[in-house]
Amino acid sequence: MKHQQLTGELQERALLYAAGALEEAERTEYFRHLQEDDCAVCKAEVLESEVAAQSLAMMLPMQTPSESVKQRLLARAQAVRENERPRPGAQPKKSAFAWGGWAVAAAALVLVAVFLNFNAGLRQEVQSLNARVMELESQVTAQRTLLVSLTSTQTKVVVLGGLSSTPQARGKIFRDDAAGRWRVYVEGLPTAPVNRAYQLWAVPATGNPVSAVVFNTDASGSAMVDLATPQVAGGIKLAAVTEEPAGGSPQPTTTAFNLLGTME
Amino acid sequence: MPGPDFLPRKETHIELDDTELIRRIASRDDGALEAFYDRYNRIVFTLVFRIVRIREDAEDILSDVFWQAWQQANRYDTSRGKPIAWLLTIARTRAIDYVRSGKKRGTESEFDSNAPAQPDATDPFVLAGLQRAVRLCLEKLSQTQRVALEMAYFEGMSQAEIAKALNEPLGTMKDRIRTGMMHLRKCLKPYEAPL
Repeated sequence: MKHQQLTGELQERALLYAAGALEEAERTEYFRHLQEDDCAVCKAEVLESEVAAQSLAMMLPMQTPSESVKQRLLARAQAVRENERPRPGAQPKKSAFAWGGWAVAAAALVLVAVFLNFNAGLRQEVQSLNARVMELESQVTAQRTLLVSLTSTQTKVVVLGGLSSTPQARGKIFRDDAAGRWRVYVEGLPTAPVNRAYQLWAVPATGNPVSAVVFNTDASGSAMVDLATPQVAGGIKLAAVTEEPAGGSPQPTTTAFNLLGTME
Repeated sequence: MPGPDFLPRKETHIELDDTELIRRIASRDDGALEAFYDRYNRIVFTLVFRIVRIREDAEDILSDVFWQAWQQANRYDTSRGKPIAWLLTIARTRAIDYVRSGKKRGTESEFDSNAPAQPDATDPFVLAGLQRAVRLCLEKLSQTQRVALEMAYFEGMSQAEIAKALNEPLGTMKDRIRTGMMHLRKCLKPYEAPL
């Protein structure tokens, strides 16, 4: 249904949609509304709101992709362009009887040239596609390995809760004891100040904590760390995160835990 | 008489505005694609990299974004906004789809946090004044508004997910995102849409 005029509710929906904050079902329905209902009122609101949301990207530290991305893109585009180029054989034909022998020979040469060109274009595209397939296969293999690891019945999940000055922080440790690996995910933990970092500790029932890894979170407060299972005599009772000097400490310098979780 | 074909290809495209580049891309001008890529690859890559956090995967998505632009340029509608806004929408959609598909995300260490905070002079679409305007507008957001907006826009989290993560009521979160977005819209309005 097309809307005739803007209301507060419509504006709010457009703002939330542009920010990416709608629930999936709402987002799907709203996208359908924009596309199928072609609602000019909502489209205008979304357009203006999207520009506002996109300004968030402008303040990120600028990153530069490798040159190979451009080369791959242009090779792909050129290959397609070559394939799409109109071929002389598709042009309206004059009577062959009206052409002399030279014209027939010239046409044959043109066809050969087009064929060779077409063939080169195809070869280039095949090479480009093969490279892409290899990349994708490599990604799929890595993702399968991760998926197997995360969904394995051997993998145990330790939930980390926020404490102290970062109650909003949370995290999970996926323990694959068979493989001897921990994969740690953290969210809502503000980036540590300059010259500071976060340190994950494996805490035994008795004795001193053992450093597992030193890490930091990104601007959104998230981090993902893959590490070998910490070796702790007598087993690990707790996993805890504290803020420490950059590079980490031999032992925690504070008891103000940012995150804490109990091992099974 | 020497025509444009006698000049290096990029020289014939570099001065063209975005809409003209899109029009030429639609007619399969790979020189226009190259110029469009040169102009916007860094801002698109930065956004995608921020979302997926794995350089290699971000580069694949970057390539896919411009490939989609190449294939769909003939369907680009100027009423849909500026080409860079169209491009960034494609980029974010692809990156968020990637994240929601359950693929892995990298560590922030792959994201170069020492890089300049703003686009440099090689990105001609952003003028210094507009950069400052955007920065000022963003700085006027409250910390809680900014965190909520970044969780939605960069992390692909819904308002309910953000509310749960921050342990806040859903209504509060919705209001925070709405007012944050409205602030950005109003603040950026005088600058005729910087993107």
